[in-house]
Amino acid sequence: MRHNQHLKSISVYVPIEKVEANLSEIGFQCVGSSTIVADGKFWKKMLYVNKEETISVSEEIGDAYPKDPIITICGSKYTISSIIEGVKN
Amino acid sequence: MPLYECNEQQFVENIRRMIESSERFLVNRKINLHDDARYGPATLPDSEFEKYAALFFRKSLRSTVFSRTPFIDDFHKRMYDQDENLHASSNLKFPRISIPYYRVEYSINLWGGTYFFAFDALFNSEILLEKRKGKLLGKEGSLIHVLKFNPPDENVLNINLPKGVMVFDVKNMIKVIDYTSNF
Repeated sequence: MRHNQHLKSISVYVPIEKVEANLSEIGFQCVGSSTIVADGKFWKKMLYVNKEETISVSEEIGDAYPKDPIITICGSKYTISSIIEGVKN
Repeated sequence: MPLYECNEQQFVENIRRMIESSERFLVNRKINLHDDARYGPATLPDSEFEKYAALFFRKSLRSTVFSRTPFIDDFHKRMYDQDENLHASSNLKFPRISIPYYRVEYSINLWGGTYFFAFDALFNSEILLEKRKGKLLGKEGSLIHVLKFNPPDENVLNINLPKGVMVFDVKNMIKVIDYTSNF
């Protein structure tokens, strides 16, 4: 139901492994990734899909600290709140 | 007209605010292929450099990169010998082998200002062993490593937006001075 989709982008101070585990728990699968350069930094941009919902996760590559992956969600309100709750806990 | 640069999070959140305020808007997207030697192997982070480890070696980040074995760069149609200098630490701005990329620019215009988010998406490397013919490889051909650069998937380049948000692809943005405001 793409017309019921909402948009949200958050930056979180949690390890990428935790984000990935959370996405997998709610049924998202990684369908592709690419290396991008933005703001003079290298990022790994990954795309996750679950039916018509899509989430992209961008994480800076290298030894940067602190790491704050950017999660961009185009999905239902339920998905958005699940992810926000999931990365908080 | 002011031009405001955003990062991914800021740009998407600005779009979300506009959707929620029922403001009518249009997102412009420009994707151009570049191969201007902007990205070379010496400046790649270690995890990205590892993808080329079968062909390249270096001591550390920003050190000179040499070829480990002879190979053909299939994208640029060029052959390199073993131990050839591919990207000198003393000349980081001018690599001898460069990674092509897509320059992706998203922008929205609102109340006379342009808000944009831009990034470069590097082509993915693929290393194969192929039989090739040529002056240096003989008429019968020989097995040689071939480095290919494949464009990234378009769906990874996209910002996923809800249905109803229109995205227009554009070739270029030309600034027009609005003289009518002087009268």
